[in-house]
Amino acid sequence: MLLILLISSVVIFYALRSAPGGPSGGGVLSPLSSQEVRQAYEKRLGLDQPVYTQYFIYIGHLVRGDLGTSLVNGSPIVELLATHARNSLVLGFTALVISYVIAIPLGVLAAVKRNTWVDQLAMGGAILGMGIPNFWLALILVYFFSLRLGWLPSAGCCDPPQLIMPALVLAAEGTAVTMRMTRSSMLEHLRDDFVRALRAKGLPEWQVIIRHVLRNALIPVISLTGLRLGWLVGYALIVETIFRWPGVGYLLVDSVLRRDYPVAQFFSLLLILFVLLANWLADIGYGLANPRIRVA
Amino acid sequence: MSAAEVALEVKDLRTTLFLREATVDVVRGVSFQLREGETLALVGESGCGKTLTALSVIRLLPDPPARVTDGQVLLAGHDIRALPENEMRSLRGDTVSMVFQEPLTSLDPVFTVGDQIVEAITAHRKLSRADARAMAVDILKEVQIPSPEKRLGDYPHQLSGGMRQRVMIAMALVLDPKVLIADEPTTALDVTIQAQILDLVRAEQERRRLAVLLITHNLAVVSQVADRVAVMYAGEIVEEAPASEIFANPQHPYTQGLLSSIPSAAGDRKHLYTIPGRVPDPRALPPACLFAPRCPYAISRCWHEHPELEPVSDGHLLRCWNPQPFTALLALEPGEVDRRVATSE
Amino acid sequence: MADITIADDKATWEARVDRLWSTRPARWRDAWYELSRNRLALGGSVIVAFFTLVAIVGPALAPYDYAKQVLSDTLLPPLSKGHVLGTDALGRDLLSRLLLGIRISIAVGLGTTAIALVVGTVVGMLAGYYRGWVDRILNGFVELVWGFPLILIAVLLIGAIGPGLVGVVVAVGFVNWAGFARIVRGEVFALREKEFVSAARALGKGDLDIMVRHLLPNVVGSALVMGSYYIAIAIIAEAGLSFIGMGAQPPLPSLGQMINEGSGYMLLNHWLSTIPGVVIVLLVLGLNVLGDGMRDVLDPRLKGMG
Repeated sequence: MLLILLISSVVIFYALRSAPGGPSGGGVLSPLSSQEVRQAYEKRLGLDQPVYTQYFIYIGHLVRGDLGTSLVNGSPIVELLATHARNSLVLGFTALVISYVIAIPLGVLAAVKRNTWVDQLAMGGAILGMGIPNFWLALILVYFFSLRLGWLPSAGCCDPPQLIMPALVLAAEGTAVTMRMTRSSMLEHLRDDFVRALRAKGLPEWQVIIRHVLRNALIPVISLTGLRLGWLVGYALIVETIFRWPGVGYLLVDSVLRRDYPVAQFFSLLLILFVLLANWLADIGYGLANPRIRVA
Repeated sequence: MSAAEVALEVKDLRTTLFLREATVDVVRGVSFQLREGETLALVGESGCGKTLTALSVIRLLPDPPARVTDGQVLLAGHDIRALPENEMRSLRGDTVSMVFQEPLTSLDPVFTVGDQIVEAITAHRKLSRADARAMAVDILKEVQIPSPEKRLGDYPHQLSGGMRQRVMIAMALVLDPKVLIADEPTTALDVTIQAQILDLVRAEQERRRLAVLLITHNLAVVSQVADRVAVMYAGEIVEEAPASEIFANPQHPYTQGLLSSIPSAAGDRKHLYTIPGRVPDPRALPPACLFAPRCPYAISRCWHEHPELEPVSDGHLLRCWNPQPFTALLALEPGEVDRRVATSE
Repeated sequence: MADITIADDKATWEARVDRLWSTRPARWRDAWYELSRNRLALGGSVIVAFFTLVAIVGPALAPYDYAKQVLSDTLLPPLSKGHVLGTDALGRDLLSRLLLGIRISIAVGLGTTAIALVVGTVVGMLAGYYRGWVDRILNGFVELVWGFPLILIAVLLIGAIGPGLVGVVVAVGFVNWAGFARIVRGEVFALREKEFVSAARALGKGDLDIMVRHLLPNVVGSALVMGSYYIAIAIIAEAGLSFIGMGAQPPLPSLGQMINEGSGYMLLNHWLSTIPGVVIVLLVLGLNVLGDGMRDVLDPRLKGMG
């Protein structure tokens, strides 16, 4: 994992600097600034040195815990980390909870009532959830709930009303995928031998389904959580941007567009680390959920 | 016949499979009686309908596509076919229990053995968890599982195949049912373990005056534990008799064929016999006797009139137009049988 | 004693059984038959075919130049004179832009998926066939890439090479190949143990020959099913990236871009964003449904892959 991180950091470092256009220094520079002003600025920030030198200086700082400051507004990245990371976590966690609370019961219902209208409806909803681009969904929701009905604010942070729509949009695709996964896992396990044996014991049907079949069926769903977290990161970039939710995603997109090197570098590395951890967690999660692997 | 009570009686049971392409009867007019303390073995090749018969009795058919379409199932005199589901459910595990073939997949892999036994108990009795656990320990002791208290906390995959099957039997008997249905209980086990399990079932039967319906395709198993034997073919019972009689004097050509394919029953035959042909496809059944295409004694009548199950001697029922003594089959050379079947001479 | 009537009866019956068994069509004929009966596949292919047609001939039939700004005719609603779908804030005809946008979406979707399919299949095939250390390395790579959020990679990539469609295509292709590789590898793993492979090897056939002639045809089915889904994913990704400004640059009318441009006018002129959105939804829906239909027919095993 460390190796990947290292390689990524080099790649990102070079990539950002090779992009056309330089930093605008938060308004200090503009495309119209004269050569001298630009050169003075770059010299001050050490940007005139060869790239690899810059890289090592940066690593040196990182290791000592100095995360640097934003080129745009001079805030120390540490502060940015605290606020934005927290915001993202709040948003992500809410979205995750929403998606599970909706998807799992729906998946169970769809599996048990297979091929009835309940199932068709749920599957139809899932197809929509996977097919509608989340940014468009966001626009539609904003249109209805903010512009037309005025119930919810269309942007900003951090009160609950402002959290609802971004969380819903973020949860949309994950809910659909989880629901389909739950349903198919349930369908598979409903055919297991032990289900028949449980009924032969005279257990009530709901107990058979929820206590036994669901418990087995959830194993792959839970282990998928790690991967879902990774995907959530990707969608968060877009959702946060649309709703101006000041999280890490918003920050990353913004900093890349504005060539705010320190910010972009740090947070992209952070996100990559997060995704790697999430994937790793997925592997562990599977072992925990399945006693056959755990105990053996 | 002793005056033991009839624990289970099945009359003209007909189970139908409703498929997209066709509707087929897989159990056709099956009738038998099972008395207290008696073991009836339902024997036949795979696909003959014996498992479906058992599932029909306990009403655990996969519906769709299967359903019982005719007949009666009388448990201690009451027709259980007509019972509403929740009443049937209270009978299952309490009055009539079933044990399945593969003990590993019949137990929920994510729950401990103890949990599953306790669950079976509390589904029917209002007991505290501690009391239920005590009952579980007792029944495990009875089926001879060592250190039963410790075993309660084990997961199914941690036990050996034989122990798992003992657990299944324990779960089935813990509430002292009247009838036990065992579907191929030893097929997935080692030969040595098989004998142990069969002894266990026999012992429990004597202790509890249990009526046992044993489903199997293995005649060695039958010889060990069965009191009566009913041979099934293509959804029908073709012969029924006490166990000793079946082995000594099999009358139906199918039964004879089954017996001559096991070394011990075939005596000193040099070559083992296999019944030529295959079980008929339910979509294209022979027009009269279902066994005719594979039968070395088939006559014209067998292709035109469907034989009924008739008594041929005390306690011995047979469904055949042209039975021949077993010695006749044994005397035939192996190629001879195939030739006879092929040319239907 | 020979009884002729038995032989007749028997023969009649045996003939019936034979007929039953001979009416089973060959595997591919089976597939086509089922495919045409499967409503999902049918519906999906109709939608997809429609949009593909639009993509190919649409822009040529467009009433206006997509980039032409007519500042006196801004923000006309749909069904205005001369503009079936209205105009945007710069007076550009929406229909013309939409047609080109559809072409861009489909081209990107198709292009990236084609690349991803080829790369993924090759990698998956090699990993599944050779196993051992080849598989460990390749699969490690595959698993790593597979879990990564497309958007993150894309944003970083585009940060490096600058915004534009090229960036989108590279980014999407960069990540999506892993999905194909996984599926193909799994299939090859299973197929490799089957008898026809050992038979081929016993005949002295080379690895490449076996992979291409025997394994590839079996793998094609699942790859196609995944392909449909991945084209949909690629289209959404392209739209999303264009939406946040990292994809197609103005005046190129990517559907995502159009939605972005229209977002400021949602209150009064919502059609600027709604219409392109609906188009994307329909297109993606069609692809997903087509994928589901094909999967039901070609490989029911994949039903678990939400």
